[in-house]
Amino acid sequence: MSDFKALTEAVIKGDVKMAVAETQSALDAGSNVQDIIDKGLIATMDEVGERFSKGLIFVPQMLRSAKTMQGCMKLLEPLFQEGNVTSKGKVLIGTVKGDLHDIGKNLVSMMMEGAGFTITDLGVGVPPEKFVQKAQEVEPDIVAMSALLSTTMPAMSQTIEALQEAGIRDKVKVMIGGAPVTDKYAHEIKADSYASDAGSAVSKAKKLLGIS
Amino acid sequence: MKPLEIPTFQPRLKVLNREQALAIHTAALEILEKTGFKMEHPGGLEMLADAGCKVSNGDWVKLPSYLAEEALRSAPRQIALYDQRGNKAMTLVNGNSFYGTGSDATFTLDLETGQRRRTALRDIANFAKLVDGLENMDFAMSMANPEDVPIEDIYVYVFAEMVKNTNKPIVFIADSGKDIAKIYEIACHVVGGEEELQQKPFILNYSEAISPLHFPENVMERLIFCAEKRIPICLPSGSNAGGGAPVTLAGAMALGIAENLVGLVVHQLVGKGAPFLFGPNVSVLDMKSTVVSYGCPEWSLTQAALADMRDEIYGLPIWAFAGASDAKVMDAQAGAEAMFSIINAMLSRANLIHDVGFLEYGSTSSLEMVTMANELVAMSRFFARGISVNEETLALEVIERVVSGGPASIFLMDDHTFEHFMQAQFLPQLLDRSRYDSWEEAGAMDLYRRCNIEAKRILSEYQVELKPSEVLKGIDQILQGR
Repeated sequence: MSDFKALTEAVIKGDVKMAVAETQSALDAGSNVQDIIDKGLIATMDEVGERFSKGLIFVPQMLRSAKTMQGCMKLLEPLFQEGNVTSKGKVLIGTVKGDLHDIGKNLVSMMMEGAGFTITDLGVGVPPEKFVQKAQEVEPDIVAMSALLSTTMPAMSQTIEALQEAGIRDKVKVMIGGAPVTDKYAHEIKADSYASDAGSAVSKAKKLLGIS
Repeated sequence: MKPLEIPTFQPRLKVLNREQALAIHTAALEILEKTGFKMEHPGGLEMLADAGCKVSNGDWVKLPSYLAEEALRSAPRQIALYDQRGNKAMTLVNGNSFYGTGSDATFTLDLETGQRRRTALRDIANFAKLVDGLENMDFAMSMANPEDVPIEDIYVYVFAEMVKNTNKPIVFIADSGKDIAKIYEIACHVVGGEEELQQKPFILNYSEAISPLHFPENVMERLIFCAEKRIPICLPSGSNAGGGAPVTLAGAMALGIAENLVGLVVHQLVGKGAPFLFGPNVSVLDMKSTVVSYGCPEWSLTQAALADMRDEIYGLPIWAFAGASDAKVMDAQAGAEAMFSIINAMLSRANLIHDVGFLEYGSTSSLEMVTMANELVAMSRFFARGISVNEETLALEVIERVVSGGPASIFLMDDHTFEHFMQAQFLPQLLDRSRYDSWEEAGAMDLYRRCNIEAKRILSEYQVELKPSEVLKGIDQILQGR
């Protein structure tokens, strides 16, 4: 079975119960896990993201869809076998040292997860050495940093330097964002990309990794 | 015959009844008592524990209601701010309203090119000077964070720049206990010492906790510093509906007020009777763009509600915003949103009203916007004064005189008109009422162009009363001593 129409509808609507039931029935009908994720869940979240960027739906509706998707993933996770389910990419994310604001960063995490990325969230006030240590551990494709305060922006540049010193700067793409951050600043500190909001963070991340 | 003496009713906005006000207040107290909050400042934590709070998990605090009520009783009902020459400039009490600019924008609209660009220190000087020259701007804030000064000292540099370019009161930002001490040193230097500053403060600190219910160490350092030095402070949080707080306005207000009360309790424990300006910032998180809106009706509504709560319960002067917009350029949206918040802040009798002159949800500052707002405040003040009704203004004799005076007798010619027109009417300066032909002849300019020209005129012609050179030299020494 390759038609996930009912599942798609349930995810778009944000009906967790129905979506989980549809996921179960897809499994019962013999669909494989990767198909359910790619053609059912992630394809739907792409559609949701599209609707959001066109201004057809609002943030809470998009997040409800993401939450619904996560509900379905919970059902599927025990069925993963080592290496048989692929992620769009691994993202290490955190609010930089000295800054304890997390709403924007959390929004980016949710959206990226919805788009099929695997997220490691380091939380707030993350010092450069912690970004480095965790980057060495999880080997992410992207390191994403957030700052709300002008005074904490230098920590972004310090983190990039720390990645450099640890010899892993070339192995990751660095994205930054947050209210005082600009494209120009991203260039100055040699980040790979700047995103002005959560929606564009997803598309920029995809662009960085060369995926559509 | 005795003249009629009828008190003038001053129109004002009321959006909450007493029951609603009490319910929100009670909810705020319940949040503190049952949910609690995260206090990351060790000294603050110890003080709260000693005062009777329950502390668990290291820094999680639950605060009994009576502590909040006590702090509300010991904080002063009036805060007087002075200008930098020692004249009383703003008495924050009851329904007195004062307007001024905002802080921390990233960009500014260039006065010459109209382009949005990063701000520089010279822009901070221009905003301060413009505020000094505009009649209805009562205090200055830095407006933006310039890119040409070291980020770690950014708030010290912008404070020094403001002091050099205005003599009006200043609302300032700081990062931690470190830079606030430098800023304080400059302020003391301007007025001649600590004693003088405490006696006639011209500064007020704006700090923010993090919603929901999170009090970082550097924020509390500033609060404690201000309480010790008795520098007036306000400590709103980012309890915007849907972002830092519940999406429903009552809940967002309750949370924001709870957070304010935490600040107030610590503040009064450190410096009983020290001045504290009350009030959360309850705007909305936009459900499409996730920006915190500066043009929404909700922020004006929650401010009006807070003013009602002040009158019913708190009695403390309150902090507010107005004269800002989410528009990217100074267009019709900018005008509509600016006026909406300016008139509503005044009609709800908010006390200290900041953020005048912002575009792009507070990310872009505009000298033209401040200039326009100056006129909108004047228009609102005229409206809020109400209609004076007495024998002189009823003008029955004038009506009799003109009507019976023959064909050449018109109101325009009457002495009564000559004597009263300046007070009886609002006389706009920038809002255009000229006839079409003269408007066209004058260049067919829209309000943005006219504000641009006026802002440029003020910046080139207006002279800020200079501070003595030894004061200016001292400021630079303090700056360089860092």
